[in-house]
Amino acid sequence: MDNLLSEGLNLLVFGMGFVFVFLTLLVISTGVMSKLVNKYVPAPAPKPQRSRSSAKVQSANAGANNDELIAVMTAAVHKYRS
Amino acid sequence: MDKLLSLFTASGIYNISAGQAFMIVIGLLLLFLAIRKNFEPLLLVPIGFGGILANIPEAGLAFSAVENALHFAKPEVLTGLAAALGVDSADPQALLHAYKAASHTAHTAATDVALDAGYNNGMLYNFYLVAIASGAAPLVIFMGVGAMTDFGPLLANPKTLFLGAAAQFGIFATIMGAVALTMLGVMDFSIQDAAAIGIIGGADGPTAIYVASLLAPHLLGAIAVAAYSYMALVPLIQPPIMRLLTTESERKIKMTQLRHVSKTEKVLFPLVLLILVALLLPDAAPLLGMFCFGNLMRECGVVDRLSDTAQNALINIVTIFLGLSVGSKLSADKFLDLETLGILVLGVVAFGIGTACGVLMAKLMNKLEGGNAINPLIGSAGVSAVPMAARVSNKLGLEANPQNFLLMHAMGPNVAGVIGSAVAAGVMIKFVG
Repeated sequence: MDNLLSEGLNLLVFGMGFVFVFLTLLVISTGVMSKLVNKYVPAPAPKPQRSRSSAKVQSANAGANNDELIAVMTAAVHKYRS
Repeated sequence: MDKLLSLFTASGIYNISAGQAFMIVIGLLLLFLAIRKNFEPLLLVPIGFGGILANIPEAGLAFSAVENALHFAKPEVLTGLAAALGVDSADPQALLHAYKAASHTAHTAATDVALDAGYNNGMLYNFYLVAIASGAAPLVIFMGVGAMTDFGPLLANPKTLFLGAAAQFGIFATIMGAVALTMLGVMDFSIQDAAAIGIIGGADGPTAIYVASLLAPHLLGAIAVAAYSYMALVPLIQPPIMRLLTTESERKIKMTQLRHVSKTEKVLFPLVLLILVALLLPDAAPLLGMFCFGNLMRECGVVDRLSDTAQNALINIVTIFLGLSVGSKLSADKFLDLETLGILVLGVVAFGIGTACGVLMAKLMNKLEGGNAINPLIGSAGVSAVPMAARVSNKLGLEANPQNFLLMHAMGPNVAGVIGSAVAAGVMIKFVG
């Protein structure tokens, strides 16, 4: 009985600890990977960004609308996909 | 007249037991929930139907050849089985116990005796052997899930991985719950059973089935049914917990638009994850390896046909057989048990604790980042259940502020939860497997 309890506690501490360690390392390595990629393989500036920077004069309102539109569209696509 | 009598004694009406009748009703209930209430119909229809098939009296669809031989109990076959299993008595009950505890060699010998006597594995038992006992079906499904997953939101904000980690606390807390129930003498779970029950809190069907098939095959039916029914109940279970733990102003927090993620990053991410798994946790390699493979097929852009098959045709085919196989574990003698009730209760507790921890972690991260950067509602999406949990976060966000679309932000922790529960599964397989 005590054995079961200690096994359970072990699993709780080590398991949870390991999940955090693993995902922390994943956060770090993903961050490093993203930095390296953006430094050495700079993506060809994506279209929406270019249009936004060139057309900055356009009202900020349009930008916000655009973001909203993207969010709504992704929501719709997800709903449709699942 | 004799013929008529023998026909009657072979009929279902004559042979049905109360347990079987009850399980058929449960199967019909699952079908009702799936068809009328639309609860995870893709899984509950095959599971419910499989459950009905498994409980048809005398057909023995869910039994192995040996179990079928024991059921019909011809004396000469029984003595043969007793010899193969190394037991003295030829009592079917004692033989069944010996068969379940038998080593692989004795198991094979007994199977040969039963096959020679003309008994065969039931159809559902064969499905179970191929799909679940081999571990194949959950892994193929995981590949399909990988092919359906877009890591963009996660890559744009990698810190959301911590939310996926925090939500896994539900898994480990539930293990302690199962241990406590055993200590109090209410139930009798081994540490393997406890671990397999805890994984329900990961809210990830294929992971739960994979872990249960390795650690506690006798609990598989209850665990799979609990995992999938709670996934369907996410929109009911999560919102009260989320409302309780967040304030109105926190729910209104608007998050900044995610940055653009380049294609190279998306291609490299599954490889980074795979290398990390290879270095740190080989036990999670089957699950996360297939997951990364599916995702690489999706993102690399040169094998669209394979990616398309993995996320549509293949995953559908495998789901059919996985569902029927899980249904085969709903036979009365395996399911009607006090333990099943315990599993159902512990499962929902696991889910609740996971949700709460995800939300609390998000609140903590929000505090650390100045109080206006992270909406705690996305924390609950850390319990995988893709994409249902993310939709729930989005819905509650919209309730607080109709202009607040959290869906993409919640997808980050959501896929992080898939990785988190697979890692937790690997840890448990390593420690108690």
